[in-house]
Amino acid sequence: MIAPDRTRVEDISGSPGDADRDPRAVMRERTRFLFTRMGQFGDDEAEQEIVRNELVQLHLPLVDHLARRFRNRGQPLDDLVQVGTIGLIKAVDRFDLERGVEFSTFATPTVVGEIKRHFRDKGWAIRVPRRLQELRPSLVTAMADLTHELGRSPTVSELATRLQVNEDDVLEGLESANAYSTLSLDAPDAGESDGPTMIDALGSDDEALEGVEYRESLKPLLAELAPREKRILLLRFFRNMTQSQIAADVGISQMHVSRILTRTLAQLRQGLVEQ
Amino acid sequence: MSSGDSSVTEQHRVVLRIPADGAYLSILRTTTAGLAARLDFTLDEIEDLRIAVDEACALLLPQAIPASELLCEFAVGEDVLSVRVTTEAVEPVIPPRDGFAWTVLTALVSSVDAVTTETGTSLTLTRQRESRAAR
Repeated sequence: MIAPDRTRVEDISGSPGDADRDPRAVMRERTRFLFTRMGQFGDDEAEQEIVRNELVQLHLPLVDHLARRFRNRGQPLDDLVQVGTIGLIKAVDRFDLERGVEFSTFATPTVVGEIKRHFRDKGWAIRVPRRLQELRPSLVTAMADLTHELGRSPTVSELATRLQVNEDDVLEGLESANAYSTLSLDAPDAGESDGPTMIDALGSDDEALEGVEYRESLKPLLAELAPREKRILLLRFFRNMTQSQIAADVGISQMHVSRILTRTLAQLRQGLVEQ
Repeated sequence: MSSGDSSVTEQHRVVLRIPADGAYLSILRTTTAGLAARLDFTLDEIEDLRIAVDEACALLLPQAIPASELLCEFAVGEDVLSVRVTTEAVEPVIPPRDGFAWTVLTALVSSVDAVTTETGTSLTLTRQRESRAAR
């Protein structure tokens, strides 16, 4: 089945008369036409702009396709598409029909380059050495065990002893755990849905926020937070529970509590600025 | 300081200068965590400090002169770590003590202090290591 099909498609795309039946051929035609126009308009910037826009629009699917190849590397797809589009625009501006290559061939490295640059710029948050990635799960386990055994949060040296690694590795491991958090800010946490029982255990926000000048402006922002985020925030800052206590209470790791606090504070900060 | 006075706990100073730009805060957070670990702070305390320096810088950065630097001075004591973050500002202002950010800071560290000079604003965060026996 497959082989004859492919032959047929190749036949069609190969013959100009039937070009309208293969979307890719149509696109190539249109692209060439637009670039020719672009050259003809010369100084007419308004016309240039219209053609340029259409060229960009026409190739957004290419950006989307390329961006998807970099999914699951910790950056939101939207961001990748956005930076990829910048690459596309650059490619449109630089492309020269005379080169005799298809625009998509020319544009791909530029788009990919832009996406890779984005990763490099965000690199601190991304590149976690394998060694540390492997350390992370045992770190999480050791933290939970030690917290339980000691009745308090462990120190770095205690963790290092338990895991038989050096303290720098533990610190780096914690760091990388934090780095990872920046990747999944908006991703819901596993097991989120099974925690509704703890949602309403807190007193009213009004009570908790007593004495905070901005409580009126904070209230709508707090209302937007997920129940668990809000609860963790209030427990830490208004009930003065430690991160470990909150972790035990909510049933997640202390590292996770720390990440949620960092993220939630940033969110509130942003919200207060925008008001 | 009266050197040679053995009753005075020896303090080490660590100084870090970074561009007044959010992109460099990770360096400050990492340094803070590293120093706190040296003092054998617990992870709770380390993470609190990490969040606190973040919050302090978020308070200071809006008034920072563009392209200026943040001066971060750590005083490393026996069981206490303090960090003073200073920003250059055209109009130095002390963050409101009844604001949300201040509430957050006071929950995260043992003491918070803010001062302004003619050229900028400083926030000092001090975290005492909790005595383990007391737990």
